Amino acid sequence: MRDTVDPEFASYVDARQARWLRCAYLVYGDLDRAEEQLLHAFSRLAPRWGRVDDPDVFVQRLLYQPALPHWTAAPWNHAPPQPGDEDPVRTALAGLSAVQRTVFVLLYFEELTEFEIADVLNLSHNAVHGHAQSAMTAFRTGLGYGDWRNAGKPR
Amino acid sequence: MRREEVRPLLERVTDDLPEPDLADAAWSGGLALQRKQRRSTAIVVLVVALVVAATVITAAITGTRPGVVPPDRPPTHPPGYVPPAGQIAGMDFWIAPPSGSERFLDRLATPLGDPLRLPDDPSDLAIEPIEQIAAVVLSRLGDGYEPILLGSDGLWARANRLLDPIATGAPLSPGAISPDGRRVAFPQPGHVVVIDSMTAEGMRIPLPTGDVRSVSWLPDGERVLVSGPTATYRVLVGTGGNGERLITSLHTGTTPDAATAPYRLDNLEGQATLLDYVESGWTADYPLQLPVDTWVGQTFTGDAVAARLFVAYPLPQVPTVASRAQVFAAISTLRWQPSRLLVLGETPHPTPTPGSPTPAAVRTSGCCQMLGWYNEGTALLQVSGWVLAWELRTGQVHRVAALEVDGLAVGPGIDG
Repeated sequence: MRDTVDPEFASYVDARQARWLRCAYLVYGDLDRAEEQLLHAFSRLAPRWGRVDDPDVFVQRLLYQPALPHWTAAPWNHAPPQPGDEDPVRTALAGLSAVQRTVFVLLYFEELTEFEIADVLNLSHNAVHGHAQSAMTAFRTGLGYGDWRNAGKPR
Repeated sequence: MRREEVRPLLERVTDDLPEPDLADAAWSGGLALQRKQRRSTAIVVLVVALVVAATVITAAITGTRPGVVPPDRPPTHPPGYVPPAGQIAGMDFWIAPPSGSERFLDRLATPLGDPLRLPDDPSDLAIEPIEQIAAVVLSRLGDGYEPILLGSDGLWARANRLLDPIATGAPLSPGAISPDGRRVAFPQPGHVVVIDSMTAEGMRIPLPTGDVRSVSWLPDGERVLVSGPTATYRVLVGTGGNGERLITSLHTGTTPDAATAPYRLDNLEGQATLLDYVESGWTADYPLQLPVDTWVGQTFTGDAVAARLFVAYPLPQVPTVASRAQVFAAISTLRWQPSRLLVLGETPHPTPTPGSPTPAAVRTSGCCQMLGWYNEGTALLQVSGWVLAWELRTGQVHRVAALEVDGLAVGPGIDG
C-alpha cells in the first residue's frame, strides 16, 4: 500500500462520499457519527483497494450494518435538539425502529432494491420487505397522514 | 402520501449538510490500520515463537516431553468395554438388552440391510453368480421353498430350485453355508441338496434315512454333516481322498442340531461338555459347569471359541418370573482362555405391582439361536425377530437387522 493516496481510490471516494454521508446521516440521525462511520468504512477499504470484488457493497455493509439493533442500542440522534429544530421528517424518522429506518432510507433515498438491501444488511428478503412495509406505515403516521391504504385519496 | 413523495422529503432534510472530503483521511486511516494489523501479527508470531522456544528449552533441560505422559501400563480393556454383570459357573456374563430395546441399539452395517426382508425382484443365480454368500433365505413357492442367496456385495439371486419342506418345516439350517461361502446345503426328505453359488448347479445326494433336519459343514468345506432324529451322516460333497465313502454314518447325537464340527457344545451324560469332532464322531474335550437344561440350535466355532445357546435352569444371578433365562455361551476351546456368557432375561414391568411381578416381556423358548460369526470376535445371534451382534471382547451388543423372513443362514460374506 503506497504512502500517498491512490488517485483511483480518491476518485472513487469523491464520487460517492456526499451521497453516502447524507444517507448515513438519515440512518444514524447524527452527522458526526455518520461521518465517522463513513470514514471508517473507507479506511477499511483502503488497504484492500483493488482486491475487493464489489467496493460499493463492501463499504455499504460497513456503513449500515452497525446501525442495526444487534450492533448498537444507541438512540437515533445523539445530537442535542436545537431550539426550533422540529422538522417533521426528522421527527417521523426518529419514530422508526433502527432496522425500519435503515431499510426505509436505503429503499427510498439510496434507491436500492429489496434484494440489494437484504444483501447489504445480511437479512432475508422477507424480513426486508416486512420492515419496508411497516416503516412506510410508521413514517406516514409520523407525518400525520392516515392509513396507507387511503393513500392518494383526498384528505 | 405516495412513495415517490418520500425521496424529496428526505433530500430536503439533507440539503444543508456540508460536502465532505474524506479521501486523504480514509487513505491515511487505511495505512494506520494496516500498520496496526502488521504489528499485531508480528506480536502474535513472536509470542508463539517464544512459547515454542521455551517448550523446547524445557524439554532439553528436563529430558522429558511435556504434555505427553505415557501410561504406567497398557490398557487392560479394549475401547467401549462393558463390565460384566457378574459370573456364572466361573464365567463372566453380560445381560442382553431387554426385549423391545433392540431398535435403539447401535447398528452394525452388513449386506443384510435393515430390515431384512425377501427381495422384490432377485436376479437369476445362473446369470448373476455369487462369489461369496452372505446369507440365504427361503421364499415360499406353493408347497415348496425356493432358496434366495445374498452376496457379500448386497445383491440377491434366486437359485431356481424348488425344495420340499422337511419334518420341522422350512429346510434351512443356520449352518447351511460352507466355510468358503461358495456352497449352500439344504436338508431334504431322504436326501441333501447342495447348490454351488458360482455355477448355480445343484447336487442331490440320497441318504439312507428319510427324516433329515439339519446340515452343518466341516471346516474343510468338502464335507457336510447331515442329521436327523435317528442318524447323523457325513456326506462327501467335494473331492475325497483314499477311497473315502460318499456317505459315512456317525454316532448319533442327542438332537439333529447338535451335530456340528469342529466343536460341539452338548450335554454328555447330563453334564454340559465341549466335544471335539473326530473321524468317527465326537469325543469329550472338557466338562463345563454350566446350568444347562437344554441346548438350542447349532454350535458355531469362531476364533478358538465355540458358541451355542442353552436354556438355563433358574439362575440366582438373573432371576426370572415367567420364563427361563436363555444364555449364549461362548466357550473357549483353549481351557486357559476365558469363556463368556450373554444372558437373555425378562423385561421387568415399568411400574411393578407388589405381589404380582409380571414382566413386561419374555423371550419364549425357540425365539433365539446362534446364527454364526460376523468376524473372529463377534457372534451373530437371532433374538426374537432381530439379528444382533455380540462383541465378545467388549461385551457390547449391536443391532444388525430386523428379521422379516422366516429363516436365515449367514455365511462368511456377511462382513462384506
